[in-house]
Amino acid sequence: MPSTAYLMRRQEPGRLRTALSYSIGLIIGLALSAAILVAVGVPAGDLVDEFLVETFLTSDGLAQTVTAAGPLILVGLSSALAMRIRFWNIGVEGQMWFGAIAGTFVALNHIGPAALRLPLGLALAFAAGALFIWPCLVLKRRFGISEVISTLLASNMAFLLVQHLLFGVWRDPANSFPITVEFPPESQFAALGWGQTHTGVILSLVAAVVAWFLLERSPVGYYADAVGHNPAAATETGLPVKAIVLGMTLASGGLSGLAGALVLSGTEHRLSQALGNGYLFSAIVIAYLARSKPTWVVVASIALAAIYTAGNVLKVFYSVSEAVIVLAQGTVLMSILIAQFFSHYSIHFSENTRS
Amino acid sequence: MDFLIGWLAIIPSYTTPLLLASVGLILSERAGVLNLGAEGMMALGAMTAAITVLAGHDPWMGIAAGAAAAVAVSLLFGLAVVVFRADQTLAGLAVVAIGLGVTGTVGRPYVQQTFGGLPKLGDLLALDPANPLGRIIAAQDVISLAAPILALAAWWWLMKTQAGLRLRAAGENPAAADVAGVDIQLTQLAAVLFAGLMCGLAGAYLSVATSHVWVENMVAARGWIAVALVILAKWSPARAVIGAMLFGSADALVPRLQAIGADVPVYLMMMLPYALTLFVLFLTSLSGRGSGEPASLGAVYLRQDKH
Amino acid sequence: MHVLPAGTPPALDLRGICKAFDGKPALDDAHFSLAWGEVHALVGENGAGKSTLMNVATGVYAADHGSQIVDGSELSPRSPQEATDAGIGMVHQHFRLVDRFSVAENVLLTLGGRVRSLRAAADLIAAKAREVGLDVDPFRQVSTLSIAERQRVEILKVLLLGARIIILDEPTAVLTEEESSALLVFTRRLADADHAVVLITHKLKEVAAHTDRITVMRHGKTVLAGAPMAEVSEAEVGRLIVGEAVVAAARPQSRPGEERLVVRGLGFDGQKRGGAVELTLRAGEVLGLAGVGGNGQEQLVACLAGTLAASAGSFTLSGVDVTRATPSRRRDLGLRVIPASRFATGLVRQMSIAENLAMTNVRTGHFGGRWFLDRRRMKAAALAAIERFDIRGAGPNRRTELLSGGNAQKVLLARELDDGLKVLIAHSPSRGLDVKASEFVRDAIRAAVEAGAACLLISEDLQEVMGLSHRVAVMNGGVIAGNRPIADVTPEWIGALLTGHA
Repeated sequence: MPSTAYLMRRQEPGRLRTALSYSIGLIIGLALSAAILVAVGVPAGDLVDEFLVETFLTSDGLAQTVTAAGPLILVGLSSALAMRIRFWNIGVEGQMWFGAIAGTFVALNHIGPAALRLPLGLALAFAAGALFIWPCLVLKRRFGISEVISTLLASNMAFLLVQHLLFGVWRDPANSFPITVEFPPESQFAALGWGQTHTGVILSLVAAVVAWFLLERSPVGYYADAVGHNPAAATETGLPVKAIVLGMTLASGGLSGLAGALVLSGTEHRLSQALGNGYLFSAIVIAYLARSKPTWVVVASIALAAIYTAGNVLKVFYSVSEAVIVLAQGTVLMSILIAQFFSHYSIHFSENTRS
Repeated sequence: MDFLIGWLAIIPSYTTPLLLASVGLILSERAGVLNLGAEGMMALGAMTAAITVLAGHDPWMGIAAGAAAAVAVSLLFGLAVVVFRADQTLAGLAVVAIGLGVTGTVGRPYVQQTFGGLPKLGDLLALDPANPLGRIIAAQDVISLAAPILALAAWWWLMKTQAGLRLRAAGENPAAADVAGVDIQLTQLAAVLFAGLMCGLAGAYLSVATSHVWVENMVAARGWIAVALVILAKWSPARAVIGAMLFGSADALVPRLQAIGADVPVYLMMMLPYALTLFVLFLTSLSGRGSGEPASLGAVYLRQDKH
Repeated sequence: MHVLPAGTPPALDLRGICKAFDGKPALDDAHFSLAWGEVHALVGENGAGKSTLMNVATGVYAADHGSQIVDGSELSPRSPQEATDAGIGMVHQHFRLVDRFSVAENVLLTLGGRVRSLRAAADLIAAKAREVGLDVDPFRQVSTLSIAERQRVEILKVLLLGARIIILDEPTAVLTEEESSALLVFTRRLADADHAVVLITHKLKEVAAHTDRITVMRHGKTVLAGAPMAEVSEAEVGRLIVGEAVVAAARPQSRPGEERLVVRGLGFDGQKRGGAVELTLRAGEVLGLAGVGGNGQEQLVACLAGTLAASAGSFTLSGVDVTRATPSRRRDLGLRVIPASRFATGLVRQMSIAENLAMTNVRTGHFGGRWFLDRRRMKAAALAAIERFDIRGAGPNRRTELLSGGNAQKVLLARELDDGLKVLIAHSPSRGLDVKASEFVRDAIRAAVEAGAACLLISEDLQEVMGLSHRVAVMNGGVIAGNRPIADVTPEWIGALLTGHA
């Protein structure tokens, strides 16, 4: 390696360079993902059809994409909120499970008046997600335990708890699979009459608008940035550091909890073992692609939802595992991470008078 | 008594993957690279080893193939974080996604196909099954016996050799190490590849030595427990031996209880290793002594940074 | 300085060195010549290019242009390794030691293949330490050593690597007076033993008696090259360093008024046993707190600012007990803080000038109230502050990390010296700034105090303390060792308290 070549951090990368390296990373990631699909047996000619036409340009496909985007927006916001204050929420799936348990509890036990049952289930789901993340925050702040590990391990425990319930008290005796009975209609979102779409999708858009307002138009986002970048300076200038950290973290957990209930009350209508698969990586990829901005979270969620829709089709027609979606997400994330190098750093060659 | 012997006999097979992976991760982190990809690398190792054996190869070939697959993905990770200075947390998560994604996609046709795995010592030696010690030894294999020795060797290399000193310096104070002539990038890349090798071995051990089958989600968060073990072991491969035994024992308890037909809430019991990890992390933080975390873990080093 | 035979080549000769960072020139045709057997002072302001030039000489930075001659032969080291092989060694201001390693492990790391074992490294250290008369225990862990001891380890490391050209970057900045003079005597011994020593410094006075020649740099250029120390006057060098005349700061013209800050029996970690801080600060008064860094100043500031809980005692702001109050409550009562390290606790480097300026006032509803954030108003306020505080070359949206030290400090001043200011805690407010920026900072503080604020000025710079304060106190071991009106303050009194002999 010639030692006359060296790296420098760019002080001001410039918008064009940033956008370009980001887009090139995204394109390479998507191209690699497409190549993987072809390699596992999807005809190359069908890719455009499956990923563009069948997801956006047909009414059924678009309805499916929009439906899939609902929970993705919520987990994307969840991850974005946490990233804003530099909290790695790796427990997105665990929070979804907790939210799902809360929602199922309300639905199966007919808690509260029927008219309020759905809102009550959703509120409890939000609270359950927040309850899940709260001890992880305490462990981090008080005891210095990495939230990456605590949220992830707790997530696994949450899944085991779901299995415990599904193989135990909540199992539908009439079914050979470990699933609950169907939720009563008052615990389901109303259908919008377009494919599978339901009012829950609107709820997730409302959540995005609220998050946008808080993060972009109110002091909350500004405080969060200060706290995330420099907690010491934020403390010394008298910002409400504890409240911001607590609020953002709990909201992050709550949004993922809400996503869990949204999936159940919106599309599944019962608790099974197949709820949260892959949502962790989706949440991280969405938040990262969107740079933790709520508006872009919605855009990235819809794009990813299309991949989910297409993935379901591929699973049926080409017997491609849905794991390919996780693979594509990992590939895109890695390729953008690498591409960022070209906007963050510049390579220099120093010119010696003699060599 | 029978329960105890049965339990003791299988503890090493539960300990080994955790130990192998965490020793690899410790070296990577001692060199300054935060490595969260263990779960993905282990899955890759497990699946590659399984399909290699299913294709008719020797179990050892399978293990080698599994290790090689994990090394390949850690080369990608290493290039991303060491050369291209990507965020180490996110790149580690990307490795998990890639590992789980590849194994889910490529491994799908091979799920649930059993195969003859690594022979146990009982198959190789004539041991008296009536003797409790004989029974325990018979249940072991070459790797489970070698793993603690390997861990201690890694400790010796890290703490007592000059090469180990240079690796530690890269993770503690890369600027000082650089001035002393340590090639930071090469050192970190080598450490990352070693972590890949060890995680691949750990994964291959799960499929080829323990289960003799490939199923999705076979690693079941053991990679994450290995990541936590690094912290519990305070970044020392020798302490990792004790930590891995602790978790291996807890992990091995559930199948033993099931085997003797005890009426226990299985899924709640299976939470034990995770709960134990969190609890021990909590206890470690209370001890108040230095965590042993390398001072520059996760930091990007640039020689030309002007301050 | 030895009399060397005529025609002996210089130890180190740097010619026409240019180096730019991100397009900004740090060195512009810089020259430097060092002779064997001399101690050579390299002086200039912060940012004049002294350290950069020496980093080029030691292969840390590659020069964009220029040539380097070491002991008569051309050699431009392309790595620190090559410089070491050529016998050039540098002790950096920030030590390159692995804190968690022992002294011997650090030396083993540095010596690489030249030593086999830790034992051998320890023996080498002990032998070298005896030879040159430095006291070092090879088996101590570096994190347990004092700053002066770490510096000795660094010097030994460089010597063990075979360096005969030894560059010390601001070596006395971190030392007490006693330690400094011991070090300077040691460098003389080294030079007499056929080495060549460069002292990078801005404390000309301190090193004048111990150096043979002087080179002055300004704005990346050499403005005085290797003049014999005996032939230059201090005033002349001062003028060359600064480039333009600077008037000394004068004390604020105000009379002490009501008590603003009263500290009683304040205790915190790191204080000497049974100690406590007692202070009274009045409106219109500057209380200078002198002391060597690391004597509890950081903790005192943190206790007052509200980021560290005091272990004992209490203090009041304008009569209100705020010992347990939140930082925001203290700010409401008029407390403002300029921390020693701008980007550690003062500014958020990733955020813009406007955002940093607004940090204290968004909370009070000044920029849109509780639920809205009025970014347009923030920007307008920033434009006004940029104008008023002469923050150069920067719009309101520029990230503060892109500003020069002086301009970043002005952002901090603009935020802290607002209308609500009653008590200002200024910790080393001009540290790391060039002369003009330092003047600006002192002027701003003076104006604030004349307008009725009280200021606790904590500084290691005695001239700053003496120039601005109405009263001077000395901090040592976490307690106030003495406290006098400025008229009674003598350098001897301060010196005695600093070193703990009074």
